[in-house]
Amino acid sequence: MTERKVNDIGGLPAGPVCQDEHASTLHEKRVDAILKILSGPKLKAFTSDAMRRAIESNTKEDYRNLGYYDKWIRAARELIIEQQILSREEIETRVEQLRAKYKKVAA
Amino acid sequence: MTAFAIRPGQALPVGAPVRVRKHPPEQHCRTPFYLRGIEGEITDVMGCFRDPSLLAFHKPGLPLRVLYRVRFKQADVWPNYSGSPKDTVVADIYDHWIEPLAGEKA
Repeated sequence: MTERKVNDIGGLPAGPVCQDEHASTLHEKRVDAILKILSGPKLKAFTSDAMRRAIESNTKEDYRNLGYYDKWIRAARELIIEQQILSREEIETRVEQLRAKYKKVAA
Repeated sequence: MTAFAIRPGQALPVGAPVRVRKHPPEQHCRTPFYLRGIEGEITDVMGCFRDPSLLAFHKPGLPLRVLYRVRFKQADVWPNYSGSPKDTVVADIYDHWIEPLAGEKA
């Protein structure tokens, strides 16, 4: 296959680039922190090269539509599973627990 | 990224004319698609580095790859380029992605 990867879009026709900036949200800061802890010298769960590869494994559609930090956190989840730090079931169970908890708080 | 020393004779010299290969992209590929098949000139030899296409799969990234800085003419990269013919673009390219152009040594 000589096809280009979903991320490799340099030079393709596109509209003007949106250059608006916004302050980082709490969610974005958290994602950044989680990534730093996982890839840092203590855990060394994965390299930034592996992160890039996981992000580049998105479908064309997801790559285009997901936000920057959403791609990050999804890639981190896939790599945690790949490196057998947590299983997909463990992550999903915990997400469900947290979802139920916050639903209660919000109610 | 840690740079490792280059052995004598391991790297192409600064000024050498090269062409970017048309390999199928690795699953993690650091060579931009728009440079495939384009001819340019080495402007810097950055050192040896672990191979990112292997690091991306939790491997040690060996063999080490020589990383070059290569300059291309914008007019060679883009069809119908309307800027100055002097405009260039510089990219970092690993050794397995370039081939020397024989008989045209600078």
